Formats: sequence, C-alpha cells, structure tokens
Amino acid sequence: MATLVTGRPARKTATALTPYLLLLPGLLFVLGVLGYGVVSGAVLSLHEVDAFLNRRFVGFANYASVFSDPRFQASLWRTVWFVFYSIALSLALSLVFALTLDRVTRARQFLRGLSLVPYFVSGIATAVMWRFLFSSNVGLVNRILSAIGLPGQSWLGDPTLSFVVCVLANAWFIVPFSTLILLSGLQTIDRQLYDAARIDGAGGVRVFRYITLPLIKPMLGVSLIWLSYASFSMFDIIVALTGGGPFRATEVVSLYMYQVGFRFLDFGEASVLMLVLLAINTLLSLVYLRVFVIGGSEA
Amino acid sequence: MTTASAKGPVGRRALRASRFAQGSLIWLPALLLVVWTSTPILWAFMASLKEPLEIYESTSLLPRSPSLDAYREVITMRGFPRWFLNSVLVTAVATVVPLGLSLVAAYAFARYAFRFRHVLLLLFLIPRILPRVALIVPLYDLLHGLGILNSYTGLFLTYIASAVPLATWLLVGFVAGVPRELEESAAIDGANLWVRLRYVVVPMIWPGIVTAAVLCVREAWNEFPFVLAFTNSTEMRTLPYQLYVLEDAMGIQDWAVYNAFTIMTILPLLILYLLLERRIVSNIVSGALK
Repeated sequence: MATLVTGRPARKTATALTPYLLLLPGLLFVLGVLGYGVVSGAVLSLHEVDAFLNRRFVGFANYASVFSDPRFQASLWRTVWFVFYSIALSLALSLVFALTLDRVTRARQFLRGLSLVPYFVSGIATAVMWRFLFSSNVGLVNRILSAIGLPGQSWLGDPTLSFVVCVLANAWFIVPFSTLILLSGLQTIDRQLYDAARIDGAGGVRVFRYITLPLIKPMLGVSLIWLSYASFSMFDIIVALTGGGPFRATEVVSLYMYQVGFRFLDFGEASVLMLVLLAINTLLSLVYLRVFVIGGSEA
Repeated sequence: MTTASAKGPVGRRALRASRFAQGSLIWLPALLLVVWTSTPILWAFMASLKEPLEIYESTSLLPRSPSLDAYREVITMRGFPRWFLNSVLVTAVATVVPLGLSLVAAYAFARYAFRFRHVLLLLFLIPRILPRVALIVPLYDLLHGLGILNSYTGLFLTYIASAVPLATWLLVGFVAGVPRELEESAAIDGANLWVRLRYVVVPMIWPGIVTAAVLCVREAWNEFPFVLAFTNSTEMRTLPYQLYVLEDAMGIQDWAVYNAFTIMTILPLLILYLLLERRIVSNIVSGALK
C-alpha cells in the first residue's frame, strides 16, 4: 500500500508500484554487481578454481588450507597490529587537530580547509609521496636526520621501519575525516560550559577531562569505528608503498588476498580471504551501529 | 599556598590568564597540523619543480631555478592523454549515473510508505560497508563471464554500483527535509512526479546533490583496486593505475617526473575541493554520520 503525496484515485495500481519502479534501477546495480559479488564469492570459496576459472566443488577444503596456512595467520596478526597502531596514532592526531580547529581564532578557515586536503588525495598518490619522503637517498626524513648528525635509515628496506612508514602514511590519509567527525562533535558544545568551569577554577586538563571528553564520547566512538574500518580494508597505500615487503613485513590480509587471487591464480582460496575481510568489516559495522544508536540519533 | 578563599576577582583574572595561555599555546598544535598535513605534498611539489639531478644533490626545500620541465615531460608521455581521458570518462559516468539512480531511489525512500521499505533500504545501504578490494575476486569472475574484462563497460558497471549506496545514503536525508507542502501544491497545479522532482525537489536539495557529486567524483577519480584487477592493457589505465606502475615504466628513477605525475593526479580534485569547500564540508560530516 503506497501513500503518496498526492494520489489520483483513478491510477491507484500505478501509484502503488511507483516506489518500487523508482528503486529498481539503482537496486539492479547494487544487487547485480555488489550483491552478486558477495554471493558468488561465497560459492567460489567452496570450489577449486583453476587459472582458466573452471570450478570443481571441494567443500570446505579451501577454508582448511587457508586457516592452517602460517602465511595467512601472520598476515592476520599483522593486520591487527596495523589497525591498532593506525587507530592509536590517528585518534590522537585527529583529537588534537579537532580541538585546535575548534579553538583557533586566526587563520581558522585556512587551517580547516588544509586539514581536509589529504581526504581528497588518492591512496596511490599518498603512498608515492610518503615513499619519496622516506626514500633512503633523496628523502626529506633522512636529510633532516643527517642535518642533525644522525645516521640515515633504510626506511623501506627494513621490516620494522617499513611497517612504521605504512602506519604513518595510512594515518595521514585517514586522519582528516576523523578530525571532521570530532570537530562536528566539539562544535555542539556550549561555550558557556567552558567559561563556567574556568571561573570555578578548573584548569585546561580538567576541563578537557570532565567536560569536553564526556560530551564528544559518541563522536569518539564513531570516528574510532570509522578509523578501524578504513585501516582494516586498506590496500592502495600499502601495495604502492611497500608492495607487502620487505620480507612480507607489511603483507596485510587484503594484500595477501590479492597475491593469492592474482599471482597464484587461486580464486577459491582468495574467496575465503575475501569472506574473512567481509566478516571483520561486518562485525565492525555492527559495533558501529551500536555506538551510533547509543549516540542517540536514528538511521 | 593560596586557598579557594579568593574566588571572585582572582577567578576572573585566572580566566583571562588561561585564555591568554591558550591563545599562545594553540599555535603549537596548529603548527603540527600544518606541518603534518602539508609536508608530503609540499616536498613532492617542490621536487617536481627541481631538475632531476638537483633532487639528489641539493638539501634545500626550494628549487634552485623552478622549472616546469617535469610537467612537460609528463604531459608528453605517449599514453598520458589517454590515461587522463580514461580517468575523466570513468569519473563522469560514475558520478552522473549514480546521482540519477540515487536521486529517484532516495525520493522513493523519503516520500513513500511501502512494503519491504526497510529491507530495501538496508539492501541499498549495507553495501557501503563492503571494502572495494574484497570484491575484486568474484567481480573479476563476473566480468570474465560477461566478456567485459579490460573494457569501459566493466569499469562503468562496477564503479556505478559502488557509488549508488554512497549517493543514496546522503540524498535520502536531504529529500526527507523538503517540506511536503511544497510538492503538494505543485501537484495540485498538475505537476507530475518528474516535474516535481526537477523543479521542486532538486533545487531544494542542491547542496546535497553537490556534496554527493563531489564524493562520487572523489571515489571514482581515486579508485584503484577495480581498475588494477579488471584491466590489463596500457590503454585502459586510469591515472592512479599509471602512477602505480610509473616507477617500473620509467626505467630510471626520475623523481622530478614521478612527483610531477603525482601532483597532476591530485590537482584536479584539490581544485574542485577548494572551489566548493565551504559548501560541502558540513554536508560531508552529516552524510557520514547518517
């Protein structure tokens, strides 16, 4: 039954169909491509797929071999650490930036505009710029180190250091959006609360701890979930920055999936890895929804 | 130790003092923001204006004699016009088509009560959480089956599909904000659905449409996993794909050209952002939190 803004009674059956007809074209794309992708991936994961994409049903054999594969387990843990460090750094930076943008009086518009710039830079361009920054012979970072008398590092040749560079580049890429979310939370806080607290003698730290932090808690939750979602599925930056190396030190799950699918040409096992990525993201989104509902608004 | 005995005037003085401290200290984090955000781009941009050897020799940020040679070299690369046009083409299609599809879908969700409305809305919105890269394996299989690997059709299909949820997400809220009375009076005057959409709804939600368009442009222009997985010929590459393979393609490591190419790929989007910044930023947030 369709209630319409205006219904001409004579064409009741036509108007009942209207909303469905309006939805149909978009839905065809979404279900036909994305929906098909998910279902087909689940089906592929139960098959052995050869390089010519011929299938043979093998049950859960692909799952068994992926889950027992040490390379997969290592990439999963690497992803967890990558996400953890990315979130820690990005949340700290975006909180500092949002507080700054909220308080700053001079050059406010300029700073706000600048803070969102990385959001519009592609992951590949981000990776290339960070690789240049940390290049061992021409990079700015080694130039600065040598200027203050420290030895330059082979940043992208060392397993630990290249992991660090990946986290930094990822943070650069994801901080702007998180800053934007937190800033929108800060702007809803009544200024008078700050002044009142100050008059009562509360210092900056205590104002932040007892006024700012509790009031932006929902936004902190939202940006936390968003940061983890963006980091878990990060592919572009890492593939262009290190390609997963050196010695697989930066091979996260998404890169491993690409290797399995498009280098080893094993679409069966790659589909299992795809489902792992989807499962993680679905879980995160459920958390997101919870935080969101607790935050008090509605979808 | 001073105690709490002198609250009144001291409190006010403390307030002024703390404001002053805040005013001067805020430049530290503000400086951090500027340095952190602009250094990678500035360093790359400056290098793009240097001569190739200067990048290895000089320690200065500023180029000795700024030159656009590297940019000239990028533009005259044999495939550059093609890669650029590929990027423009897929971005245009992946913006205009999803906007149209999402506008009518958003209208249906915002204006009608119908059976399965909630389920259908979820079907539209849930794909937003599917990471692009996760889908490349089954979608490669799909495009292979349809015989449209390495074609514009394949890129159009996948780009449009992933942009529709994004645009619908944003537009539903905007359409719902248009007062029904406006449409009702137009309907009484005999305006049908398309006329109302075109002359009542679209003008009212124009900021939302601009925001959705910018977000679609951003996604398509910067897209990488799909074009990486679904194309294999040099002629089908978009700018991010070419940037990805550029180092191998050049043979020698010419950082000036490499950086000039990077700047060329991000410049169009940055210009668009700077032009529209004031109008879209707040909408991006509200769209993201919806």
